[in-house]
Amino acid sequence: MRKTRRLHATITYALLILGIAVVLIPFVYMFSSSIKPQSYVFEMPPRLIPAEITTRNYTEALDTDQFGLYFLNSVIVAVGATTLTVLISSMMAYAFGRMHFRGKGLLFTILLLGMMIPPVMLIIPQFLIAKELHLLNSLAGLIVVYVTMNLSMQTFLLTGFFKSIPKELTEAALIDGANQWTIFWRIILPLSRHGLAVTIIFTFLYSWEEFPWAHVAIQETNRRTLPIAIALFQNQHLTEWGQVFAASIVALLPVLAVYIVFQRYFIAGIATTGMKT
Amino acid sequence: MVPVKATQRETLGGLTLPSKFRALRQQLGQAVTPYLFLVPGLILFAAFILLPMAYSFRISFYDWNIIRPERSEYLELKNYQDIIEWPIFRRAVVNTLAYAAVTVPAQIILGLGLALLLNQKIPGQTFFRTVYYLPVITSWVIVTLLFEYLFNSQAGLINYWLQRAGIIDDPVRWFADEKLAMVPIHLLGIWKGLGWTAVVMLAGLQSIPRVLYEAAAVDGADVWAQFRRITLPLMRPTLVFLLVFLTIGALNVYISGLLLTDGGNPLDRTHFVLTLMYEETFDYFEFGRGAAISYLLTGLVFLISLVQIRLLQREIEY
Amino acid sequence: MKTKAFTLTILLMLFMAFAMPTVQAQDKTTVRYWHTMSDPETAKLEELIATFEAAHPEIDIEATRYAYDDFRQALLTGLAGGDPPDVARLDIVWVPEFADLGALEAMDEVLPDFEERASGFFPGPLATNYWDGHYWGLPLNTNTQVLLYNKAQFEEAGLEPPTTVTDFAEAACTLSSGEERYGYALGGTYFWAPAPLFYAQGGSITDEEVTTADGYLNSDASVAAFQTLVDMYKAGCISPNLLGGGIGTASGHADGLYSMIIDGPWMVDIYANDYPDFEVNFAPIPAGPDGTTSSVVGGENVVLFADAAEKDAALAWIDFLLSEEYQLGMAEVGVIPTLSSLAGNEALPEYFGVFMEQLETAQARTPSPHWSEIDNIINNAFQYMLRDEKSVQQALDDAVAEINALLSR
Repeated sequence: MRKTRRLHATITYALLILGIAVVLIPFVYMFSSSIKPQSYVFEMPPRLIPAEITTRNYTEALDTDQFGLYFLNSVIVAVGATTLTVLISSMMAYAFGRMHFRGKGLLFTILLLGMMIPPVMLIIPQFLIAKELHLLNSLAGLIVVYVTMNLSMQTFLLTGFFKSIPKELTEAALIDGANQWTIFWRIILPLSRHGLAVTIIFTFLYSWEEFPWAHVAIQETNRRTLPIAIALFQNQHLTEWGQVFAASIVALLPVLAVYIVFQRYFIAGIATTGMKT
Repeated sequence: MVPVKATQRETLGGLTLPSKFRALRQQLGQAVTPYLFLVPGLILFAAFILLPMAYSFRISFYDWNIIRPERSEYLELKNYQDIIEWPIFRRAVVNTLAYAAVTVPAQIILGLGLALLLNQKIPGQTFFRTVYYLPVITSWVIVTLLFEYLFNSQAGLINYWLQRAGIIDDPVRWFADEKLAMVPIHLLGIWKGLGWTAVVMLAGLQSIPRVLYEAAAVDGADVWAQFRRITLPLMRPTLVFLLVFLTIGALNVYISGLLLTDGGNPLDRTHFVLTLMYEETFDYFEFGRGAAISYLLTGLVFLISLVQIRLLQREIEY
Repeated sequence: MKTKAFTLTILLMLFMAFAMPTVQAQDKTTVRYWHTMSDPETAKLEELIATFEAAHPEIDIEATRYAYDDFRQALLTGLAGGDPPDVARLDIVWVPEFADLGALEAMDEVLPDFEERASGFFPGPLATNYWDGHYWGLPLNTNTQVLLYNKAQFEEAGLEPPTTVTDFAEAACTLSSGEERYGYALGGTYFWAPAPLFYAQGGSITDEEVTTADGYLNSDASVAAFQTLVDMYKAGCISPNLLGGGIGTASGHADGLYSMIIDGPWMVDIYANDYPDFEVNFAPIPAGPDGTTSSVVGGENVVLFADAAEKDAALAWIDFLLSEEYQLGMAEVGVIPTLSSLAGNEALPEYFGVFMEQLETAQARTPSPHWSEIDNIINNAFQYMLRDEKSVQQALDDAVAEINALLSR
């Protein structure tokens, strides 16, 4: 019995480590290329461990224009969009998941349509609307659109989550005379940390890496976000691979941090979100 | 229905309203409150999704002049007819469907396997989960560039290793052939999405009560029987969810195609629906045609999702 | 306590995002200028903007740099929303496309002294602005492609840089050795890559009036030009990277993998930055059967958008971009000027010589609002030949039919 269990564990680890190799090798290669001089980027044979190490790609990438400012812009946009998405989509999910009203089915279906449309097709009309609302060239314009693009999916997931919270928990409060907002704010949200972690990770990631909208909506250099800055390393005549990878690795760190912080809630959260409905 | 404490509170607040009026107000409040919760989201949704969709829908019937809209020519259904008959579009649809047909099942099968491994009580769980999620949290643009680099035909790591392992004699020219080009693109899709699929599966697995397995073990069911009789049926809702969402995502494949094949190369044979839409719109300024392509794709996505949900949900009911 | 600090930070960020945007320039006129320059060019531009703003304190230049591949999307979206830049630096082949959209102001209509000013430019670059009876921009910088060869490899093989296409093909094959080294490499199959050798061998795409490609793109000279490349490719003398997914020409040439490439003046700067030990050697494009060399004209034009709010300030900025001061400044970072008065100027870098000389015979690509589509058609034709799916003649005949369908629209 103990033997089979040990064999079992060994196989599990062997498979997991094999999988890790498949997942990680591209990243290792990316990292090793980010510390190679440009002239070694296409060396034959390719090496995982560079023969010559340089930090130049990092210093140059971080030195470019205003990398720090772009980074800050990205942080503001990602944090802002994440916060507002959590707030707005959980409000919607509360109405859909725990209240009865006319037109609920229809509204929910329309909202779900939002998940099926290709975002690229919306860019030009979104630009026209953002212009009317004076949202162009501002981080606010990015936040508003990112929140909207995440609404459907996040509302859908949270609706399922909120439905799974037992009625008894809120009925008592209703009898105590609490209004719906109080119940939402004081009971449902605190109970939903796991579900919200899912929303936070998704929205943060989306807002952090979004390119097409930020590319057209921001026309002023100092309001740009990181993905735009990274795209500029791809010169018309030569791609500075080392710098692209160096900047990409730096850009990856905040998302990784967000994931590590929220991941302990993440899986439990997903287990009770929308896909169980 | 009128809660006692609320009355008390209102009296305490110095407001003594006639009870009839109060009841009316409360009824009204109950009817309105749900909409108040919906308003902020619905406004955003209407302004930045529904209105733009309406705009795109309109221009899909025109030869649209983007600067002087009044000069646009109304074409009725001509854009749609032309596109449906256009061989390059048809090929793009086939490529897109093939991409979904390969990457979705691959992600589900591998994701389930990975989730089963990760679901065991082993040290280092957090580490494993984080590493497997790494591709998910890296942006599409970056991982696409990374794959372009790995699959470089002359100095790429993949060719080098395949040659070293004796699997191939000559370097494979991945992006020079329409069929081979799909290999890195499909692999990228699977590699990037696997972590997310596995996490969702893991969540599904963890919500299955352990008692069920214990009872089955007592009854003498082996691991395989447990998997078939407990895991699979209870995972069905998770699987349906993943199937629908992964398919929607796969049919919208776009960035990897755009960057890896440089506009459908070779010979416009590697287009996906959205890369073709991008090319028509931003390279050739054919805004009406671009919008029509988007709507055809949206229709396709809608149809496929509907069929998937209908078919699989019926099965669950029985 | 922790939660409060966290909430406060988030509120602060939201406030920053929503409060920051609408900072209006006070009493200054802002001119928005979009471009796709490289890093060193952008740095130089910043310096020159400072010079301009010092001389024009009432004007504020807001320059925005875009990646070349994403530039059209940004411009088009801006145009659709009535919010394009005032002035932009456009690839010369894009000018007819944007003019056809109705996005641009005709320079010969807005500039009272157009004739006089036009005479100050090299005629080749100036001509790239002309389409449908008007000049839709002015030449900002020009370039062309010449031959870059690896001197050490040539000496080792006892070869001289080729002066005719026949010698060129021979040298490329002599220098090639399996996958270790290719005598010649092209950056891809879009027209820009084969264009210099195509024009040098007498190839052409359409008639002067751009009404038909029949008898031009499928003429004997055009067919022979592509045939040379296809034969070289099949003999293993051209790197397969042109079909996509290989090592780029710039890196490959510096690494000694490609003995010859054909490219532009920016290579000097790229090599100085990324391959400081590499020695660049230039030569004119080898001559075709009739003994004349040629190449393709590249470069950028400056255009004024029809929707520009502050035309006077925009024109003042355009004036400056076309001044000797600006053009000499940009020459320091490898940008070739368009003012004929600067020909032979001592301040210009020495290596400009070969490019300026090549420019005398270089040809412009077909000015057409359908250029992007034509480019893709030729790209596909070239691919058909290389992949042996069609003969050169067949591929070009089919391409002619497709292009003519476009031109008659």
